[in-house]
Amino acid sequence: MKRGPALFITLLVCALFAVFFIYPAGMVVKQAFEGEDGFTLDFFAAVFGNPIYREGLWNSFALGISASFAALAIAFPLALVGHRYDFAGKPALGVLVLAPMILPPFVGAVGVKQMLGVNGAFNALLVKAGVMNAAMRYDWLAEGRFAGIVLMIALNLYPILYMNIAAALSNLDPAMEQAAENLGCPPWRRFFRITLPLAMPGVFAGASIVFIWAFTELGVPLVFDYGRTASVQIFDGLKGLDKNPIPYALTAVLLVVAALVFSLSKFVMGRSPLGTAPRPKGRSSSLRLHGWKSAACSMLFLGVFTLATIPHLGVLLLSLAGRWYGTVVPDEFTMHHYIEALGNGLVVPSIQNSLMYAGCATLIALAIGLSVAWVVVRSDLKFRGVLDAVVMLPLAVPGLVMAFGYLALSQEGKPFHFLVGAGGSPFMLLVIAYAIRRLPYVVRSAVAGLQQSNPMLEEAARSLGATPARALRRVALPLIGANLAAGSILAFAFAMLEVSDSLILAQQAQHYPITKAIYTLLSTLGNGTELAAALGVWAMVFLSVAIMGAAVLGGKRGGLFKVYPPAIKRFPGGSSASSRVRRRRAVSGVRSAVRRYLQRWIHRSHSLQIYDSYE
Amino acid sequence: MESIRTENVVKIFGAIRALDGISLLIEPGELFFLLGASGCGKTTLLRCIAGLETPSSGSIHFGGREVTKMAPHKRETAMVFQSYALWPHLTVGQNIAFGLEERKVPKPEIKRRVEEALEMVQLPGFGPRSIDQMSGGQQQRVSLARALVVKPKCLLLDEPLSNLDAQLRVEMRREIRRIVKENGLTGIYVTHDQEEALAMADRMAVLTRGKIGQIGTPEEVYRAPHSAYVANFIGETNIMTGEVLEMRERIAVVNTPGGPIRGRVTDPDWMPTHGELVRLSIRPEAWRLHLDRGDNPVSGKITDRTYLGQRIQYWVETVIGRQQVVEMNPHVIHEPGENSIMIHARHDDVVVLKG
Repeated sequence: MKRGPALFITLLVCALFAVFFIYPAGMVVKQAFEGEDGFTLDFFAAVFGNPIYREGLWNSFALGISASFAALAIAFPLALVGHRYDFAGKPALGVLVLAPMILPPFVGAVGVKQMLGVNGAFNALLVKAGVMNAAMRYDWLAEGRFAGIVLMIALNLYPILYMNIAAALSNLDPAMEQAAENLGCPPWRRFFRITLPLAMPGVFAGASIVFIWAFTELGVPLVFDYGRTASVQIFDGLKGLDKNPIPYALTAVLLVVAALVFSLSKFVMGRSPLGTAPRPKGRSSSLRLHGWKSAACSMLFLGVFTLATIPHLGVLLLSLAGRWYGTVVPDEFTMHHYIEALGNGLVVPSIQNSLMYAGCATLIALAIGLSVAWVVVRSDLKFRGVLDAVVMLPLAVPGLVMAFGYLALSQEGKPFHFLVGAGGSPFMLLVIAYAIRRLPYVVRSAVAGLQQSNPMLEEAARSLGATPARALRRVALPLIGANLAAGSILAFAFAMLEVSDSLILAQQAQHYPITKAIYTLLSTLGNGTELAAALGVWAMVFLSVAIMGAAVLGGKRGGLFKVYPPAIKRFPGGSSASSRVRRRRAVSGVRSAVRRYLQRWIHRSHSLQIYDSYE
Repeated sequence: MESIRTENVVKIFGAIRALDGISLLIEPGELFFLLGASGCGKTTLLRCIAGLETPSSGSIHFGGREVTKMAPHKRETAMVFQSYALWPHLTVGQNIAFGLEERKVPKPEIKRRVEEALEMVQLPGFGPRSIDQMSGGQQQRVSLARALVVKPKCLLLDEPLSNLDAQLRVEMRREIRRIVKENGLTGIYVTHDQEEALAMADRMAVLTRGKIGQIGTPEEVYRAPHSAYVANFIGETNIMTGEVLEMRERIAVVNTPGGPIRGRVTDPDWMPTHGELVRLSIRPEAWRLHLDRGDNPVSGKITDRTYLGQRIQYWVETVIGRQQVVEMNPHVIHEPGENSIMIHARHDDVVVLKG
């Protein structure tokens, strides 16, 4: 690729990021330090001096840590068992355990609330079983709210960890473990000495996402009426933003902590470009299990799936419930809520709005993502590594911080006010926010696709007379089309599910996206909860279809959720390798690269079933 | 040092019989090669011996002990993997020390033996390096040192040189053989590179489709192949067919369109009968050009030639088919042309094989 276009893309993307990402985040930090007479630490002093805010921050932090560990406790055994053994139903079960992601956790929280409330299904079950006195029902959510939030988030987010760890394990050369075994290391010690250390990049990559997500989670605490987290305190402080600088300071603290965690995990990973690079693979050593051992593994997967989908089940039941009070399952079922939802002034417009916001955001993310991937993989710009890092930054910055920055900047008289459309439409704001926050998924999948496809294939097209643009369109794009589609679908799906931006930036009912509509319905009297549940079910159905589509189209082994590129890998002859390395590789590499590429391609085209991605 | 014996080992993957009744006896201290085209089952057999696969039937014995079902970590074999399988989270020294730590060797001794191992593979002082800082050849040596340092009962090598460039490969051949011999190890070496096998092996087994084609020393296998497959796989050869005219001792006279050709019958389990259709294998370097008199004369015309410095390769069109003829240290170069020439092969160099 020519220098010029690469440079242009780099500068353009950097400029966009500077304006729409760095500036809002930086503005939040700046406001937090800026009093009437310039620089001040007063607001931080106020935050840390106030026991309520201290508690909020501490709770958020504890939430992040607990949720990460809880998710790890669920995900690691799953990934390890899946890596090491073959058992009955593994392909299907491997997909099932990803199911929790199809519902934003706060909607699931509605279902859980219905089940764990004083007159909820769980108590009814206990009463029925004779374990609990019907007159003295226990309020699980009163005392156990924090644990409930942790569990909700962990059960929703463990798939991200699971996929990262599974990807890390599956990228290991099986010979690594076999060599240890061969040198006298029994299986359990092998796990601690070899497998676990080598899987750490996956653990850190996944855990840092889960942490940042849980640390700034807004929806679940709101639904559980748990006001003592920093995220809810910020949300509550939005009303009087011009007079009250405390939310700025709180947001700045969240940003700093998230960035620290992100850099920490990046640092830990950066030190070890561990056996993640594809190498000549030894034979897989996954052990075929039979009989009760196989059944036990299947049960583990099935058990996690069941546990994790209880919230979904709750939402589904709630959406169908005519009356559900103090019984295990609703007394009567009805489709009434679905029908009523169609007539509700919030529901139908919110679906239209979300489709529009998410669709436009995806197109923008796709265009930027593809260009960035192109520069990162194929150009020889010195700074392309920096560009790659920059576009991944949105993963480090909590959605809440971004949303807050956008809101603050779009007030009357502020620089972003022009983005607010007629009648206060948040269209532009939401599209930009969604696009930037989902960009990493698109970039990762496009980068993965380009790395897998050999530049020599394009060079062949060039040598036969194709212009660079035509080589891109006729050779490269068809080859990475599946990756691009998968990345876009995920970006789209997660944009539809977005919570913080949607709750904070959409202010008029006619502009609400789905998530804000659900949130608003929840606090509506009458059958608002049931209507919200019905809308939630629609969202679930929609997202399962989308995610399955993404998986089918080539989200191999959760590669889309891998946050960090293991290092820029490329084929010999690619322009990044230093000339020394290049020479060394060129000898042995050219032939094997062609072979490897063909094998991958054949493998991919023969494995269009989804489950293949996660076996 | 221990002998290794496999008895009728069968390994079935789905519908494929990867190993189809392999019986082998490898003597203590022997460097034994498993040779064959890819997919012939050689790596599977090695992995069965290491315990990384369990045979579907049959048994494996180390010395007097049966180990067929024993877990890999209890077998005290040490394997050198094709991909080296060096752990990137450990340094060179830690990689090598791993097996000793698993064997609960005292710390000071580990230190000493790791240093010795590094010296043996000519990487003294490389212990603190990380794996990423090592070149391919160095990594290969580290993986060899890691296997050797535990003084294994049996050293298993799975195409250890296939990722190295040609020059280094030749260097490492001598190196590995020296190390195996100096340490008195029993070694099993898997490769598809026949030159490597000829150069290094004490004995070798040629595998084909999960079965043993032939076992023998390099010289035996090269000079006296038992089948056309083995003759073709080890080195190059000209194969032609004919009908047995006469048998004397183990010498057969075979009638071909170019006249009778005498050759040795190499397969001890087979004796051709009069009139039987057989195959003849004559190595390119066994043919001689332009000797007026000699064994097995055949006339033909040179159709092509390739000069390779130390030797010259001719293609000679004859009535028994196109023959490849190699002359070492050529003084005169014959150009392709219409002139008829004669080629001869000593009957010792002609191998008579089952048709």
